[in-house]
Amino acid sequence: MKAEDFAGRDIITMRDFSREELEFIFDSTKEIESGRPGGPLDGKLVALIFYEPSTRTYSSFEIAAERLGCRTTGFSSPEKSSVAKGETLHDTIRMYEGYGVDCIVMRHNLMGAARFAADLTKVPVVSGGDGSREHPTQAMVDLYTIRKAFGKIDGLRIGILGDLKYGRTASSLSYGLSNYDVEITFVAPESLTTRKEIDHFLSERGVGFTKTKDVRDVVGSLDVLYVTRIQKERIPDPTEYERARGVYQINLSLLKEGKKGLRVMHPLPRVDELSSDVDESEYAQYFVQAAAGVPLRMALLSMVVAK
Amino acid sequence: MRKIEDGTVIDHIPAWKADLVLRVLRLQRLAKSELDVSVAVLQNVVSGRLGRKDVIKVDRWRIDENEADILCLIFPTATINYIKRWKVFKYSPMVPDTIEGRIRCPELLCISNAEREPLSTMFYTLKTERMLQCRYCDTLLDFGKIPDFVRV
Repeated sequence: MKAEDFAGRDIITMRDFSREELEFIFDSTKEIESGRPGGPLDGKLVALIFYEPSTRTYSSFEIAAERLGCRTTGFSSPEKSSVAKGETLHDTIRMYEGYGVDCIVMRHNLMGAARFAADLTKVPVVSGGDGSREHPTQAMVDLYTIRKAFGKIDGLRIGILGDLKYGRTASSLSYGLSNYDVEITFVAPESLTTRKEIDHFLSERGVGFTKTKDVRDVVGSLDVLYVTRIQKERIPDPTEYERARGVYQINLSLLKEGKKGLRVMHPLPRVDELSSDVDESEYAQYFVQAAAGVPLRMALLSMVVAK
Repeated sequence: MRKIEDGTVIDHIPAWKADLVLRVLRLQRLAKSELDVSVAVLQNVVSGRLGRKDVIKVDRWRIDENEADILCLIFPTATINYIKRWKVFKYSPMVPDTIEGRIRCPELLCISNAEREPLSTMFYTLKTERMLQCRYCDTLLDFGKIPDFVRV
């Protein structure tokens, strides 16, 4: 496999990626973390168009692009653009294509928006999240972090906890894990458990998974506990949100029931589901996880943006 | 109803489901057309194969093959016969790999439901599971629920 195999490729869903491709991306990320410069992509222009707020994803893509020598353009919220005047996504994509950008990184509130955008243009589209469906580059960061912490992904037991119904990071991570020999436990209240689409995909792939409502049932057997926020902005029914929030509180007291070597991950931002008393402990992997966002996105942009 | 010279007979519809077939095929639009079309609906009649069945006979109208394929996804027992100059030709439905435009995505927040964006829905057919999957948001839709989301 070569970097050129990814030139011009859209990054829309983890379901499009094979294990071999993911491992290649991770190997490239490792090289960049070790000091290989990546790119150079001097003179290339990356459009960052974010219809939803973002700190980590937007900043990490912006930094990644600039470290590769690219210039960036676009908007970090729709209020700062013609979207506020009612411009369609279709017109926005065609406009940036017409301006000659070399890559479009986008986040949108509607599901499937990235796929639609990719259909409209020959310019590679990289999804930074669409609605509550997927966040493929976050899942790549997450898998890379697991591989880095354990030296492998196969053979691990992964617990994914929190908002599994509306959480796009949980979806993408589940799809990505299907490439590996893992056991997955989903931990969520019934109202927020995984959608049937995820269950169907994992079953088709022969990936073993179980579900529980109580993290205490499984914390003692997990290698990784992936914590997600119960997202108010994704849950249409305010009553459902109020019922769900505060159900989980991951703290040191709970984690002491875990096995040696347990790692806690979180895509961030966190609210109250992950206590700060975990931050300085040997369990905490989430800041390392966040930091991996830049080198991984540098690796992706290096490969996807045609030289 | 007189014997059909040219038309379509949809047979072996599950009993009391003919109204769904009429909705899926948008046959109510024929009322506003200038075509000299007759529609006869038999409901809950005896059937050797099904026990009871509905039948729809449409004189001077031919069901589109794509529509016939969608209908047979929803009602796998249904049989479609074309009548041409009094002769009966049985249609063998195909299960399409994709369905475009006819069915709305059940997920309201799917981009395909955004009013002003110029795109049609597209679904992949998962034949073994008897489900459709939205190309954009990956939502699954049972074949049996298609009538709730077909564009009329």
